[in-house]
Amino acid sequence: MVTHNIRIHRHSIRPAVVQTTPPLPSALRSVGNLLNSFLEWFGELGLFVWQVMRAAVRRPFEGRELLRQLDELGSKSMPLIALAGAAIGAVLALETRSSLVRFGAKSMLPAAIVFSIIHETGPVVTGLVVSGRVGAGIGAELGSMKVTEQIDAIEASGVNPYKFLAFTRIVACILVLPLLTVAADFCGVMVGWISSTLVEPISFLKFINQGLAGTSFSDFLAPTFRTAVFGLIIGTIGCFQGMRTQGGTEGVGRSATSSVVLSSLLVILADVILVKLILVFFP
Amino acid sequence: MSRAARLGAFIIATLAILAAGIFIIGSKQYLFTSTYRLKAQFTTVVGLDPGAEIRVGGVHAGTVRGIELPHKPTDKITILMDLQRSTHDIIKQDSVAAIETEGLLGNEYVSISFGSAQALNVKDDDTIASLPPLVIADLMKKADGILDSSQEALDNVTVATANLGSITGKINQGQGTIGALVNDKKIYTQLDETTAGLRDTVSHAQAGVTSFQENMDAMKSNFLLRGYFKKRGYENSSELVKDEIPQLPAAAPLKTFTFESKQLFDKADSAKPRNQKSLRAAGQFLADTEFGLAVVVVSTGSTGDAQKDLVLAQARALVVRDYLVGNFSFDDAQLKTLGLGKGKNPGPASGWGTVEIIIYPADTEAPTQVSAVSPK
Repeated sequence: MVTHNIRIHRHSIRPAVVQTTPPLPSALRSVGNLLNSFLEWFGELGLFVWQVMRAAVRRPFEGRELLRQLDELGSKSMPLIALAGAAIGAVLALETRSSLVRFGAKSMLPAAIVFSIIHETGPVVTGLVVSGRVGAGIGAELGSMKVTEQIDAIEASGVNPYKFLAFTRIVACILVLPLLTVAADFCGVMVGWISSTLVEPISFLKFINQGLAGTSFSDFLAPTFRTAVFGLIIGTIGCFQGMRTQGGTEGVGRSATSSVVLSSLLVILADVILVKLILVFFP
Repeated sequence: MSRAARLGAFIIATLAILAAGIFIIGSKQYLFTSTYRLKAQFTTVVGLDPGAEIRVGGVHAGTVRGIELPHKPTDKITILMDLQRSTHDIIKQDSVAAIETEGLLGNEYVSISFGSAQALNVKDDDTIASLPPLVIADLMKKADGILDSSQEALDNVTVATANLGSITGKINQGQGTIGALVNDKKIYTQLDETTAGLRDTVSHAQAGVTSFQENMDAMKSNFLLRGYFKKRGYENSSELVKDEIPQLPAAAPLKTFTFESKQLFDKADSAKPRNQKSLRAAGQFLADTEFGLAVVVVSTGSTGDAQKDLVLAQARALVVRDYLVGNFSFDDAQLKTLGLGKGKNPGPASGWGTVEIIIYPADTEAPTQVSAVSPK
């Protein structure tokens, strides 16, 4: 419905622009078009978010679908996230060791591994991996539903697709991201310890004690729960790109790709802003 | 595995990890254990943060809960410390808190020393003593000051060395007095010549003195002058104190011979001998006895000039000694003289004074200088 309105709007503006302005150089015209489509995208995103929020406060709350999405997006992402976290832990342990040995600060190795994993690497890698797996999944799923007019069918059967399809996925993303981050942190630290102890034996207790020495709640909880924002971004962008899919199966592929690219980009941008904000609120 | 079970496992596992993380960090901050609170005051906390470690005897035993700025500029910063209950028996009221740094650039932490056994226990919210922390910046400032002053000192040394270099250069080039002395051989030659001349002069003077002495001796024997010396009793004034000792020895005398000067000398103011045979008894005793030291002690009467009387006493002692040495056989090195001069020993009524010959036993040595307490 909304997309239809917007399409009409777009068509109504274009002839006016062409008629009122003198012919522009083609380069300038393409920049103008790009800016125009960028603004359109944001406008459509705003309208989409508004529809979702309006649908979210109305009954029924679609709990069963939410649980299904939690499983789909959370539990099934777990192996991938665990593997990614473990890889980070191993790489950090091996890379950091050589740098620290060069400075004669080898005893700082546990702190360096644990701190960098729970503070930055764990959350960001979780965000990026989930945006890859889940963003693409949501984009492709909703895109194919859109092009096969299933969404229209859902709407016709009296179910709000913004609530049933979008809201449940967005909320599931918000909820599972912090949990997946914790899992990634845990796997990273464990594999970091295993990598360290293979090179130079150190007890797990000492590794954890040294790693968490001087760590406060703000060092652990704030970075972990900022991934909820990543979840919001991934879910929203995935659903939005999926539900505005046009042009058959080709359009489904475009939606999947664009939802991955945009959600990854926005996750990194949001991380920059959130790190700054966290430093302001938890100095 | 069913979908619900999978989801349940996922949620439980991740929440358990989250809970474990919270618990580990919380226990490091002593959030879930029984603690008590102490305070300490510092003028600076050198970047200590709330949540910093507290170490008691090097063991992590608490956390800094808060840092409070003072309300007045004269007050100090207060740090609030939550300490594990188990440290309550170690930390006493005389424990001292200090802010230290792990290594040179590590984290700050608070170190609390053990209290003494007899000190009172601390209570909740007590304030314990503190040591001012070592601020690296202050240390750097001090080191900078030291470096500056050493630079100044080095500059001064450089200037002094340059001056010294210039001086030695001038000396080397023969400039100035020292330069001339060092470099000009002419001065040395002149000095050498002067010394040689001086030596000649001295040897001439010696020859002159010798011949003068001979002349004087000849004159003494000359009939015109012989009477004077004879009347005086002695020929050479320089020999008056040749055998004199400064004072009598402390030892008890073996024997003392006492004569009145009137018996032995020609006149009251003369050392010319008369009737010296009366000294024979003494001379014979000296010749027969093994003695360590004998002293001829002469005193004059209480009238007349003191200096003249002293010379007269010395002369008389010399005359008596010469007689004894010349007429009796004993070691003359053991016979000494002592002219007491006027008034020291008033003597008989004649006013001529007395002559005593005091003989000391074998092991007596002649005193070489006046001792603080006179023996007689």
